[in-house]
Formats: sequence, C-alpha cells, structure tokens
Amino acid sequence: MQKKSGGNLPAGRSMNRRELLQNGVKAGAVVLIPLVDTSCTTELPPPAVSTPLGSDNDRTLAAVADRILPADELGPSASAAGVVHYINRSLAEWNQTELPVLGKGLADLNEVAIARHLYEFSALTGEQQDAILTELEAGKLDKVVNGQALFNRLLRLTLEGMFSDPYYGGNAGYAGWDLIGYPGAVLASTPDMQKMRERLPMLHTSGHGAEHDGH
Amino acid sequence: MAINLPETDVVVVGLGAAGGVAVLPLAWAGLKVIGLEAGTWMNPGQDYKPDEIHNNVRALVTTGNKAGNEVPTFRTAPDQVARQQPRHPMMNAVGGTSIHYHAQSWRLNPWDFRVKSATIERYGKEFLPEGTTVEDWPLRYQDLEPFYDHIEYEVGVSGKAGNIQGKIDGTGNIFEGPRKRDYPMPPLRSCEFVDHMTQAARSIGFHPYRGPAAINSQPYQGRPGCAFHGWCDRGGCHIRAKSSTDVTTIPRAVSTGNLSVVDNANVRRIETDNTGKATGVTYFRNGKEYFQPARAVLLGTYAYENIRLLLLSQSAFHPNGLGNNRGQVGKHHFGHWDVQAGVAVSALFPFDINTWYGAIAQGVMVDDWADDNFDHKALGFIGGSTLHAYTEKHPIASAAMNTFGRVPKRWGSEWKRFIAENAGRWTTAYIQTNTFPYSNNWADLDPNVRDPFGDPVLRITAGPKLNEPKAASYASGKMIEWFRAAGATEIMGGQGGTGPALSTHAHGGTRMGLDPNTSVTNAFGFVHDCPNLGVIGGSVMGTAGARNPTQTIQALAWRTAEQLVRTLRRA
Repeated sequence: MQKKSGGNLPAGRSMNRRELLQNGVKAGAVVLIPLVDTSCTTELPPPAVSTPLGSDNDRTLAAVADRILPADELGPSASAAGVVHYINRSLAEWNQTELPVLGKGLADLNEVAIARHLYEFSALTGEQQDAILTELEAGKLDKVVNGQALFNRLLRLTLEGMFSDPYYGGNAGYAGWDLIGYPGAVLASTPDMQKMRERLPMLHTSGHGAEHDGH
Repeated sequence: MAINLPETDVVVVGLGAAGGVAVLPLAWAGLKVIGLEAGTWMNPGQDYKPDEIHNNVRALVTTGNKAGNEVPTFRTAPDQVARQQPRHPMMNAVGGTSIHYHAQSWRLNPWDFRVKSATIERYGKEFLPEGTTVEDWPLRYQDLEPFYDHIEYEVGVSGKAGNIQGKIDGTGNIFEGPRKRDYPMPPLRSCEFVDHMTQAARSIGFHPYRGPAAINSQPYQGRPGCAFHGWCDRGGCHIRAKSSTDVTTIPRAVSTGNLSVVDNANVRRIETDNTGKATGVTYFRNGKEYFQPARAVLLGTYAYENIRLLLLSQSAFHPNGLGNNRGQVGKHHFGHWDVQAGVAVSALFPFDINTWYGAIAQGVMVDDWADDNFDHKALGFIGGSTLHAYTEKHPIASAAMNTFGRVPKRWGSEWKRFIAENAGRWTTAYIQTNTFPYSNNWADLDPNVRDPFGDPVLRITAGPKLNEPKAASYASGKMIEWFRAAGATEIMGGQGGTGPALSTHAHGGTRMGLDPNTSVTNAFGFVHDCPNLGVIGGSVMGTAGARNPTQTIQALAWRTAEQLVRTLRRA
C-alpha cells in the first residue's frame, strides 16, 4: 500500500517498520517499540466523537482554529487535521469544567460577527475573521467577557489538537507532527534519531500503538 | 476512636525520594519498619505513556489526591491574603516524585555547606546578603561524602567523576568536592547537540561536563539502561531505567521481610507523650482511623507537609506544634528561587538541533558561574548558577515556541511557516541558582484555607530576594555567551525572573543546626526536643545549591536512618 506523507515541507523520508526495528536492534535498544504501521490511516473517516459545544459553536471553533493554522502549501488546516475533534474530546472527558466558558465565548464571538457583518463568524472572509480575532486577542471586543483569556485558550487548545498524539482525535495523518518535523512517539530512540542539521525521517508512530492512533 | 495497631520499631511517613531511601538501611539492620504512603504503587508498563497530553497536559502521572487536597497558599508580603495555588508540584505514590523527576542527581558543592563562614573568610561579613538568616550546616561535605557514595551505588547514578580524592579529571566536573571513587555507571549516552554544546563551551574557556543522573546508562542492579524516548519529564520510566525509589531501594527493603508498605495512608498527626517524645502516628485509610505506635518516627513527606505536620501535631509538651517551642518550625524556608518562576535563556539555531528525544538529564553542564567558583569581589552578590543544555522536547510545547520577534503574530500563515521551520531549532537552558534563607521568607498555617479533614493548609510568605536575581542574571549572561559560541542566531532571556512560587525544590523549614534557637533538627536530622523523631527531606537543608537537591536529600536520609539504627540498638 502506498504510504502517504502528511505535509510537504518536512521532506523527510518515511522509515518503514522493518528499517526501524533493525535500527533499534543495531543500537541495542532495550525494549523495542510497538511501532505503528500507519499505511492506511488517512483513508479512514474521522472518529465519532460527541460535540459538547453544539454544532453552531463547533462551526465557529473550526473557523477560529483554521485562522490560527490555515490550510496552505505546508499542510492541512487545523480543522481538517481533526483539531475540533480533539477539543470536543477534551471537553467531554478531562476538560469538562471549561465547557460553559468556552461555549459562551464562542457564541459571543459569533454574535460580534453577526452584528458587524450580518453573517456568522464561520461565513466571513479570512480577512474579516482575522480582524475580529485580532481584537479578541487584544481584549478589545466589548461583547466578549475576558476576551484575551478566551483567545489564549482557543490558541492553546488548537495547538494541543494539532500537535498531540493522534490518539486523541487531532493531528490526523500526523499532519501536525509532519509540519514541525517531530518524527513520532516511540518507546526508545537511537542515536540516529538525535542527529542535528537535517530534518529527521518521519516515523508516523502513535504512543498508543497501531490500534489506538485514532484514525 | 482510632484502631490501635501493634507497635513497630520505626514508622516512616512518606515513601518518596527520602523515605524510600531511608527504609533500606533500617530494614538491612533488622528493624521492623512500617512505611506509610499517601499514594499507591504505580505500574510502569501501564501507567506511563510516551504522550504529552497524558503527562504534561492532564498531569496523569504527577497528580496525587492527598497533595492535591492540601495545596499551599502563597503570598509575597505579610500584608497580603495568601492565595491557594492551582496545583501541588509533587505527587503521591510509592516512590513519590522520584518517579517523574528529571533525575539529575547531584552532590552539593562543599561551599554550600559553609556559605556563611566561607563568605566571611573570602569577602568579609558585610558581603553577606541583607536579611539572610543563613548559617553553616552542622556537617561538612566530607561528612556526607560516604552517604553520597551509598546513594550513587545503591540507588544507581550515572556520571563522570571530576575529583577522585583530590585528583582532578577535566572530563568530569573539576569544581566538585573530592570523592572516594567514580560513579558506578558512565554518563548517559551523548548526542550531537550535547557534543556541539560541549565544544562550544570549551571554545570560550568554560569547563563543561556531563551531568550526573539517577538513570541507568547501562544495565545496573537488574534494571535496563535508558532508552532515551524523551518522556522523562512528568512521566515515569516505562522500563525502570530511572532510579526512582519504587524500583530501587523500596523493593529491596521489602524483600528483607522487614518493611511493610501501607499505601493510601493519610497521616494526620504525630503523637507525643508528656515528655515530648513521639509515640507514633495517627492516619486515615479507607475511611478508618488508625494509630501506629512506634519506637521512632521518620518524617519523610515533602518539605511543605513536613512543616505542616509538625505544626499540626500540637500537644501539652509541644503547644505550638511539634518541635516548635522556639518558633523555628517553618522559619528559614525557601524555594529554589529560579525553578518554575525564574530566569530562562532560550536560543534559536539556524539549523535543526532535533532535541526531541533523549532526556532532560541527557545534557551538558557548566559550573564555572555557580557556587563560589569565581571571584565575586566586584560583583556584589554571592553564589551563582549552573548552566545546563539538554534534550527532550515535546511537540505541543515546541510548536508553542517563543517566536523571538521574527513574526508579528503567534497565529496565522506567517507564524505557521515560522514554526514549520523552527520548532526543531530552538532550546531553553536550565539555570539553577544558589539560594539562601531570609527573614522575609517562611511558612506557617493558613488562617483561612483548609483541607477536607478541616486542617489548615500551609501558607508560604516569600518576600523579594535581592542577591539571587543578581546571581541568576549574571549567570544568564554567561549562558547567552555560551549559546552565541554555539552558533545560535537569536537568544532571549537573561533578565531576573518573576520570583518565587511553589516549587519542586522547596527547602528549609525544619533546618538542621547545632543551636536549637535557630534550627529545628540536630546535626543528624532529629528534632531537638523530640529525639526519637527524625525529619528527612529538603526541609532540613539550610541552603540550596545551584542544582537539584534530591541526591543530597537522599544522602542525608540514609545518614539519619543509620543514626537511628545506632540509637535504637543502644536503647
């Protein structure tokens, strides 16, 4: 099966499972790595997760995340990489206390968009969205309580979704790790995996094993 | 009413880095030991994950129920209302925070034991920082050397000696005190970045060396060498290569048949009789109250809880708290000033440094600007900082990097391009500063905030320090020089930090000393007016070295335990 690379910039060669195992053995690693073969990961549908924020807020959240990490020649947008799935999972599981504040904040943000442009936030142009987010980041949107804190949380959660283990529903097809050149979660590293002055080969491995990489 | 248990020789409260070590010499000596631990056993294969969400975001390894219920409050001036902090920095488990610490494992510099007299000798009395209550330790480096040696060999520490019985070896730390012999294992595996930083340090006349680590660099005592997977920080070791006490000294003590571990035990009081002597401890476990009588008690919780338990354990003989008849419990308390709230120097390189894997302890260290290793005469401060360049970088934290002013926004296309290029090209140095006790820094019981049992939590008052920020800023300048020599194109930091906060390096509060008017415990760690109660942990230390305290805590704990063996044998 053809291996699909998640991003263009990290032009590292993907190392296959056998090569990795061999490298690990050569280096005398003690416990070898239940490595994940991710050959067909990008073909599968995104995981079914609940949407505790509701679909209106999900649309706003996706639009915000996609201005933080837009689609471009370096790779997919945040929402295309599953960031909204990640945030929903966190809000449904370990981050439940944040749900009311985040839900209200996103709804208020959407109200600002409608008041200003007659369309909801997700339907605005990128330029219009950026203008509103810039004001939110600076705490200058009167309609949004604690706007700066809300922006910081949205930024932080977007980063968590994009760059966390795909086990949690984001970083689909390892798009986030490909973007920054993080090879993958492993249980042992070889000296080759600590080389400088070059982009390392992408491993596309989840820390939770093949059956748990979320895709 | 508490359920009375049969008497034991020694009850150890807390089986972390300190208590987990103390049980071994006690058990070896044939004493019957009960170890009470607020947490439970971790399962390395199951509980530890190579996963930033698990370890660093959700803090699933580091969270402890008991610690989480008694987070101290904090203020920077006595006229403020202290606020409870969001999270306790330590964890409850058999092995305690030695499970998830970075495992940099140091001997203090000989200077740390006699800061006061050494400063007066070299610079004069007026050179001591204003407001400091620093005293020389009641023991010298050479008194602790045999116990440092025990820890290195029995717990398992890797490293390279720089001074064996006075013979200096430039591949180790030339500033360290003399040691009897080398480490039992060579330093952890190096890597290109560590080699590169080592060369850069040499090129500007610094004396770099590989820092010691309580992590196996090769198989040792039935445990494997480090696999360098890069999840040491706030995660336990999945293969038991990190020498946490739950996989080293505690199981060996259990195997003698003399140590019984009681987990999920919430100790609330140390009980004393009408002569002031300890009779045992009262604890809760699964909703029931127990009294564990013992011939001697070793208090080995974290510094915060050591202080709190003494203050809570009031009796007719100790009306102001155990050992507090001279008002010294909680005094001379301080955190490692820079840890979690202080100076940081970050650097951006024009090439990939790829420090993703490895371990925080896989690094290179410079001591040239720490302790009294340089002339302070013209500088107006004492002490300094160690500089540590290291590996292990997690993807979310890497993407959330400082942009060094290179892009206007921290989001959007331009920023995305920036992190795509640079997330693997930056690093931060770990800078730790010699820190001293001051009269404006102490711990007592909070008048407002209580734990679920209704007991007050600890309140920390920490006013500004003037000496330590100067020392840290000076050393940061040296770190900037080092990064520049290594070819970094952007370097940020070097300013004094935001000051103290809750810390994994809390020190003092039950200080050791010869004078009961300025200390709580004697030269062996036993409470002056409660001689069968020993205190182990950072709370007995009177100064903080420019380095992690754990190995010193463990060496002191071993020494206290050996002294207890002698005392109980005499009785």
